[in-house]
Amino acid sequence: MRRTIFSLLLLFSLPKAQVWSGGTAVTIPAGRWEIGVFQPLKYGQTEELEWSVHPISFLIIPNVQVKKYWGRSDFGMVSTRHSLVYPTPLLRKLRLKGFGNSTLADMDVGGIISGDPDISEIPVAFSSRNEVLITRHLGNGMQLTGKFGMALAIASGDWDKRTTVDLPLVYPRIAVLYNGYGLNVGADLIRALTKRLQYLLDVDVQLLPGSESDFFLEHKSLFLWSGNDRIRISLGYKIVYGHYPFGIQWHLFPLFDVQWGW
Amino acid sequence: MRVNICLTALFLLSCEPLVTQFEDLEEAVYYQAAKITTPPYRIVSFTVVTWNIRFGAGRIDWYLDSCGDRVLLTEKEVVENLETIAREMSEIGADILLLQEVDRNSKRSAYIDQIQWFLDHTELNYGVYAPIQKSQFIPSDGLGRMDLGNVILSRWEINDAERIQMALRGDQSALTQYFWPRRNIIKCKIEVPGHDNFWAVNIHAAAFSTDDTKEKHVKLFKSELDELNGIGATFVGGGDFNTVPPGSEKTEYCDEDRCPGETSDQCGDGLDYTTEQDWLTSLYGDYTPAVALNDYLMDNSSYFTHNRSGTEWWDKKIDYIFTNGGWANTTGTTHQDMFNLSDHAPVSAEFLLTQ
Repeated sequence: MRRTIFSLLLLFSLPKAQVWSGGTAVTIPAGRWEIGVFQPLKYGQTEELEWSVHPISFLIIPNVQVKKYWGRSDFGMVSTRHSLVYPTPLLRKLRLKGFGNSTLADMDVGGIISGDPDISEIPVAFSSRNEVLITRHLGNGMQLTGKFGMALAIASGDWDKRTTVDLPLVYPRIAVLYNGYGLNVGADLIRALTKRLQYLLDVDVQLLPGSESDFFLEHKSLFLWSGNDRIRISLGYKIVYGHYPFGIQWHLFPLFDVQWGW
Repeated sequence: MRVNICLTALFLLSCEPLVTQFEDLEEAVYYQAAKITTPPYRIVSFTVVTWNIRFGAGRIDWYLDSCGDRVLLTEKEVVENLETIAREMSEIGADILLLQEVDRNSKRSAYIDQIQWFLDHTELNYGVYAPIQKSQFIPSDGLGRMDLGNVILSRWEINDAERIQMALRGDQSALTQYFWPRRNIIKCKIEVPGHDNFWAVNIHAAAFSTDDTKEKHVKLFKSELDELNGIGATFVGGGDFNTVPPGSEKTEYCDEDRCPGETSDQCGDGLDYTTEQDWLTSLYGDYTPAVALNDYLMDNSSYFTHNRSGTEWWDKKIDYIFTNGGWANTTGTTHQDMFNLSDHAPVSAEFLLTQ
């Protein structure tokens, strides 16, 4: 009985607009700002509209994302999320010959993307991801979010595939530029462990049909501790599995972040 | 050191470190052709070749070794070069190959596994691989992922293959050394018909080092051969030693190897072999070279195996094969006609089987 009451209290304590933003269909309250060390700056314009942008990197990789809450359906709360990224300035900045003393006996350091003269200029390109998010309360303080979407990319010219950055986390995020489109599907499960502590399990799959690197999976597991509505600390891990141009690889990364809200 | 720790920490929990480091002694990586071609079993001799194939880059002006600015080759460029190399391997009639600078899954060579490629495109059946430079990402001029190493290929089965770590260069910054090649010797037993204890040993010694690193490499190679000789094994041992024979007429290569526009005081390190004159003396003294030293001393240029620029002819000999058995002829062949396939010429010799 006490457990049921606790669950109901949790359920009703989760309004449509919850305090902290996350990978759910829920938007942050109107007028609220949030930022994290690794998370973007977010702003609740209205109770149903949330904007986010990575402010520091914006100068070299202009980006914006908007999440729109549409209402409740039989499946749960429904939102759509739309992002637009202009990666060309960053990719062009990363493409350089290394610096340092260029001699046979020492290797230049620098240059993430090759400045090989045989490789043509990075084209002007835009990528956009459009997703539907559906969040449903499961009881016992649990909240399940399903998401699916499609990414599209356009470019002013042909991409030379030698300009890819073949690193985990990076490659899957830029691979859509080279493939033209991609599909994604995923799920987030959040469970309230105490009033201040939540546990998040998340899995995201990205498919790039027609590409030799056609499958990527990212899974993260996080403890989220909210001291109040002004600070939140997250700690956990992320596993990345993918079909890279050189074969199948997986990586495990520690995750840590601090977010502030006001 | 701090840089090493930070870079390693980034990939600490990955299945593969950012840069792979090696134990002093490790098992080599075994390969087999997709389709085995029945090798000859009634033989009196077979052909051994050493060849630094320059990762299938041919004579393309690659940025680290030939004054060029090319970094990442196209798949077409690499495959065309590999096809020509494979054709020449067959022409030479190679039964055992000691290869240096072979790539597998490296971005610069279009992620082609060159060991498997050779096994699937020649009559060679078995291979072993010892990585020299294995890194998930080299942040230099977009070089990216690298897996480069030494290889032994054979028509006959290979066993007991070992990767023997050699000394790291002591004349580099910590950051450069972290990403720099970890040179090795690869040693294996080959089931040559009529021989129950036949070994092949392959080395790619340090290039451009200015301290005693290369000398340590040569000494370690010699000690490996001595050890095999001591247990009554027969061996062929060779590779790219990056040093010239004793008594060479020319030992200083600043003019030949400096890039266009560079002055003589801008010469790169490791281009003067004068102090290395006697480093190979004991190898020549104790074992039989494929190219006799006397023949070389009478006419250096006919046996040159290396030229950096690609615009001038071969200008030094740095590739060798030795044995404690016997060669069928007094002097093996230096294939100088294969100038466009690599910055090294292959050296071959016919090994005479005796029981």
